[in-house]
Parts: sequence; C-alpha cells; structure tokens
Amino acid sequence: MTTPKHFEEKGRFQMDISMKMGAEKKPFKILKPPKKAIVFMQQHIGKCNLPTVNEGEKVITGQKIGDAEGKMTVPVHSPITGVVEGIRKVYHPVLNCPDTAVIIRQEGEEGLMPLPSFDLNDRNEIIELTREAGIVGMGGAAFPTHVKLACKGVDTFIVNAKESDPNLVCDVRLMIEKPREVVSGIKLMAKALGARRIVFATRTHKGELPELEKIMKEGGIEVKRVRPSYSVGSEKLLVEELLGREVPSGTFPPYIGVVVNNISTAYALYKAAHLKEPVISRGMSFYSDKNGIENVWFRTGTMVGEVLGSLGYDIRKFDRLIIGSLMMGWSIPSSETPLLKYSAGLTALSPEYPKPYEKQLPCIRCGYCDSVCPVDIYPSLIMKEDKEKDVKALRRLKVMDCIECGLCSYVCPSHIRLTKHLWGGKRKAKRP
Amino acid sequence: MTKDKLKKEEPPHIHIGFDKNELMLKTFLMMSIIALASIIVMGLDALIHIMIALGTVLIVHSTIYSYQVWKDIEPTYRSPASPMVAGMIVGLAMPIAAPFEVTAGVALLTILGFKYGQGKYFKRKYLNPAAASKVILLLVLSLKTLNEGLLFHTHHIDLDLMTATGLQSSMWIFSRETLPIIGFDLSPAQSLFLWQTHGWIGGASSIVVLIVGAIAAYWLRYKWRIIVSTLVTMTILAAGMGIYLNGDPILRIAFHVFTGSLIFLAFFMATEPQSTPMTNYGQYMFGFFLASLTFGLQLLNVLGGSIIALVILNVFTDQFDKIVIKKPYGHKGVKK
Repeated sequence: MTTPKHFEEKGRFQMDISMKMGAEKKPFKILKPPKKAIVFMQQHIGKCNLPTVNEGEKVITGQKIGDAEGKMTVPVHSPITGVVEGIRKVYHPVLNCPDTAVIIRQEGEEGLMPLPSFDLNDRNEIIELTREAGIVGMGGAAFPTHVKLACKGVDTFIVNAKESDPNLVCDVRLMIEKPREVVSGIKLMAKALGARRIVFATRTHKGELPELEKIMKEGGIEVKRVRPSYSVGSEKLLVEELLGREVPSGTFPPYIGVVVNNISTAYALYKAAHLKEPVISRGMSFYSDKNGIENVWFRTGTMVGEVLGSLGYDIRKFDRLIIGSLMMGWSIPSSETPLLKYSAGLTALSPEYPKPYEKQLPCIRCGYCDSVCPVDIYPSLIMKEDKEKDVKALRRLKVMDCIECGLCSYVCPSHIRLTKHLWGGKRKAKRP
Repeated sequence: MTKDKLKKEEPPHIHIGFDKNELMLKTFLMMSIIALASIIVMGLDALIHIMIALGTVLIVHSTIYSYQVWKDIEPTYRSPASPMVAGMIVGLAMPIAAPFEVTAGVALLTILGFKYGQGKYFKRKYLNPAAASKVILLLVLSLKTLNEGLLFHTHHIDLDLMTATGLQSSMWIFSRETLPIIGFDLSPAQSLFLWQTHGWIGGASSIVVLIVGAIAAYWLRYKWRIIVSTLVTMTILAAGMGIYLNGDPILRIAFHVFTGSLIFLAFFMATEPQSTPMTNYGQYMFGFFLASLTFGLQLLNVLGGSIIALVILNVFTDQFDKIVIKKPYGHKGVKK
C-alpha cells in the first residue's frame, strides 16, 4: 500500500506517518488467551455495569459478566474460561482512576457461550444483538453502537476506514484479512439504520484493496477516498469532508441524518451475528520505537505486560506504555493494566525515545496552534483562560467544541501540552 | 510481575520537531538577507549599526545566561537565537543617520529592559521590545525638541504632507538616487521602492523586504493577516489622500507604504508574536489601526510615527483578541 509519508493538516502543517508504511502487510499475530483477565465494568460511554457474577464463580468464554439497565449501557463478557478470582477496583486506563473490574483466572477447557439467536432481517433484532454482543465504537470512542443503530431518519451511513492515527493500521489489516466479513457487518449496520446511502471512507488508493473494493461495489457501497489528513479521521470532520454537512455544536452526526462507524465495529457485528461471539477479542496495532508496528489479535482484559511478553519483549526496556496511539493515547502507570474492548493500539516507548514535552517553554503566541486547529478554536487563548479560571471566557472561546485531537500540542514550538488546558477548560465550562 | 518504572504522561507523545529556537534562527536568517541588501545600498554605516546592535544584545545575553547558569537558575533563553533576532531588529530599525552610540543604547534597552525585563516582571512581552526602546528614545528627543521651543523635530519641521505640492517638494531627499551598474536614475517613487539611502536601514530596498518578508511570512507562518491588513490599509489611505489632494497617488503610496518604517515594521515588527493579537479578526483590526494611526502621525510630521503607533496598539492587543472570534466548527451554519 502506498501510504503517504505525511498527513497534511490545516495551516500547512504535516504529520509524519512513515511508521505506518508497510505495516498493514503484517498479519495479525493471534495471542493465546491470558492466564488472568481483568474485565472492567465500564467499557462504554454511559451508565456503569454491575457484575452479574460472584467471586469464586466459574465462567465460560463469552458469558455475560456485567450489565446494567438503561439505554446507554452495554454488557461485558468473559474473555476466557475460568474462575472469578475477585471483584475489585483496578486502575482504569481511560477513566484514569480505579474502577470496578472482574478478575478471572483461567481454568478448565476453553469453550464459548454463544450469543442467543436473533433474526437478522429484523431491524430491532439487529440492534438488540449489537447490545447483547457488547459492541461499542471500537476506534476508541466506546459509544454504544446499538444506540447509534437505533437512530431514526438516517440517510447516510459512513464507514470510517480512515484510521488516522500515525501508528495504527489494524483496521486496514482487517480489511485485507477479512474483507467479506467486514462488508457483511457493514450491511447489517446499514440494514438496522435503514440508510439509503453507504459511504466507505478510506485513505487507501484505488486498486490497493481490490477484493474489498470488488465486494463493496457488488454490495452497492460507495467508496470515497479521503485526503490524507489526521484530523479528518474525527467523526464530525469526516462527515463535513465527505458530505459537506456540519454537525452542529453539542450534537452528534445522527442529528443531521448521518451515522459513522468504524471497521472493527462492523467486524464485531459480523462475529456476533454469524459466529455468535460477543466482543471478547479484537485486533490492534502494537508499536514500539525499536521494532515498529505489529498487528496483534488479543482477548480483552489481557494485561499489557502479558501482550508484550507474548510478543517477546522485555518490559524493562520501556519507560512508557501507552494504550492507544501516539497522538491520543494515555500512558499507563503499570504493565498490569488490562486492554479494553476499544483499545485499538498499544504503544511502547524506550527511554531513548524523545520526550518532546518534558521541557516546556513559555507560550510565544505564535498562533501555530490556532492555525492547525481543525475545528477553528483558539487553543492558546483557551490555555490562558484555563489558567485564569475564567469560565465565561472559556465558553465564549467555545472550548466545548474541542475534539481533543492533540494537534495544537503537536505543532507548538514551545512544546506546550495545550491539550491538558483544553481538557481543563472543558471541565470548567461544563460546570453550571 | 516485576515492579514497573513507567512514566505517566498524557497525550500526545510525538511532536512536529519544530521549535522556538528554529523559528528564531530562521527569522534571523531571513533578516540577514535584508541586512545584506541594506549594507549594499547604505554602505558601511549600515553594517556598523547592525553589528553594534547585535554585539550589544549578545554581550548582555551571554552575561545574563552565564549568571543564570552559575546561580543554577533556569536560563531565560537557552539559545541566543531570540536575542539575536531582537538585536537584528534594532539594527534594521535604526535610521542610518543615527549616532552609533544611540544604536547601542537602544539595543541595550531592548534586550535588558523590554526583552528580559518584560518577560521577568510581566511574564510576557506586552510591548515589542525594539519598538518600545525606540519610543523611549523618541520621548527623550521630543523633550529636547520641546525644550528648544519646537513642536516637531528639526528633521521633520519642513515637511508638509498635507498638500500635494508639500509632499512633492519633500521628496528631494529621494531624488538623487542612481541604480548602480545599470546607471539608471531613479524617481523618488522608484527610489522608495528599489534603493533608498535615507531612513531606516531595514527599508533600504523595499522590494527586497517585500520578497524576503513574504517568503518568511509563508515559510515561518508569521501573522500574515497583520501584514496584509497594514499594507492594504496604508495603500488605500495613501491613494485616497493622493486623489483627494489632486496629487500623484503613486508617489503618495510609495512614500507612505515603502518608507522603511512601514515596510520593514509590517513584516518583522508588527508580527512579533507575543505583543500582537491571536485571533484572525484581531489581527486584521490590528493591521488596520496600525496603518491608520501611522498614516495620521506621518501627516502630523511626528517623528517615528509607525513605532509609536505599534507600541500604542501593543497595549490593546488583548482587547483586539476579544472583539470577534471566528466561528468554530459546529457554529458555522447547519445544513440538514
């Protein structure tokens, strides 16, 4: 695949994506089920699940172990067969604080508790299947997919195959390895949505994924090539790029009749519908500054240290482990932190890898952050108001419209992590 | 499992690799081209002014840097790039006729008072360091002039820019230029554009400033809206004045736009990042008022009108940032 060396951003800034080059050719390495799985109850946006199992109880792979009532809830399932070792608070890599998790010790023969049967010709049954399978936005957003599929008045369904992060390629790899399965998942989603138009947004060039494109064509799916840009991978900006429609502030694409889902999510629906398997495993890209990208298929709840060990890495050689990409992922304090169902990437950096934000200089007000901002807010002014705790000014500067892409920090010549102030500003502006 | 020694960090973890020092070094490099052109046009005196200004700031910077390192204080400027830019601006913003010791004084005040001083005591540069230093110099000069019973500086007392004939007769200073090698005699307007031996060192060749400035603004992403707004406003005002007074609009434009004080200032001083607005509209407004105020002060024969205008507007930078902000994504208009 002819991945460009750079993504082009606003303000003529470029993002180096050379690490992606050729990585999509590397097949998924399927990791063995872990000896111990840590399954968080909160792996979606919405109300937190409660455990449906007790300590000491035996569980089978695919068995529901946590659920809650309410629209914005998505159950979680056991990724291995074994015994519930405990239910306790463990550091959550996204919530950035301890949260309830079910800890399962592998024991007994591996089996699968299949999902119940659903009528795949019935819209409501597909939506119910999506929820029961525990499917969330697997690109990293963790938005409950069944809530998206239940939206009415949707005319366009966009499949986001853009995969913009500089060190993630797992979705492209999935398109190469499982094209029919991915398309099957897309069609199920389109059926649930009742969308007239399906748009497949990809950064690949014509002829690079011939099999997938052939299947797409047969299925009446429109293939749209998106310009190579990191920020266009954002859901709202992708909608504007492809359809010329703006998603109003404070709303989501369904408000304007559009739903966006990504490749891994579509594949998860395929597996749920045809293999009766809930979300217990997924593909991700593992990137280390020493060896580049590897594509890995892992069970959710696997601890990061175990993934690294399975791949033959010595954990002591790294001083930063990041769940997610180099642009948006948070580094974790311990290799015992588990991966989630929406972990699309894992990044391991050695002590020699640059720490560009270690020595921040005062802001010189050059305006680079403002020029690169894909949503046209002023990160530098927001930083000032965040420091001064001026909530009124933060609201006037529309801090809530920040998509947290990190580009402002990426281009800052003073090496300031502006993103930190944007989060801070959002928190302050949210307060009544 | 072994105890990890992992670092907890928020995203992002990569950077474009372009930093403040690189920005300053490249700015210095671009200004060096203008300096070279100025030395060719104005001769050895221009070189001496520039070297004095650069030398002064480097001595001060090295002294402060050494002191900070000795006292184990985090150096204010780890690299000399930013002080060098300040020194170069002082050199290029001096009138060629200025005494050398005045250049040294302005450079000293720039680096010590308005570069290091502002940063230390106000946590930010609110005033353009070189411009603020020159305003202080102008203030001293004006007090001296007033003490002598004159309202305007002697150099400017004969200027009459309020009439077409007044401007025409003031142009004698630019009317004896000959383009070397080609031997082409230049009209005042051509002189102002190509080759002027009077006025600011940095404005010796407006065409060089225009080309180098445009390249630098594009390459280093200067606040181009200020440049465009300043030059466009000044062109409109000058042309309008020329037409209104039944004079030569081209000469008016050449005089008001291409005197060194405006053309150099627009590209390299009015875009100084810290003391100028951040918002798009703020920058347009800043340029508009900078040109308007400069134009007004020029008509009133005030010495250093553009510098005074810049410092006045610097004071209102934060207010400009509050006027109007561009509509972010999600607020531009719903297409359903």
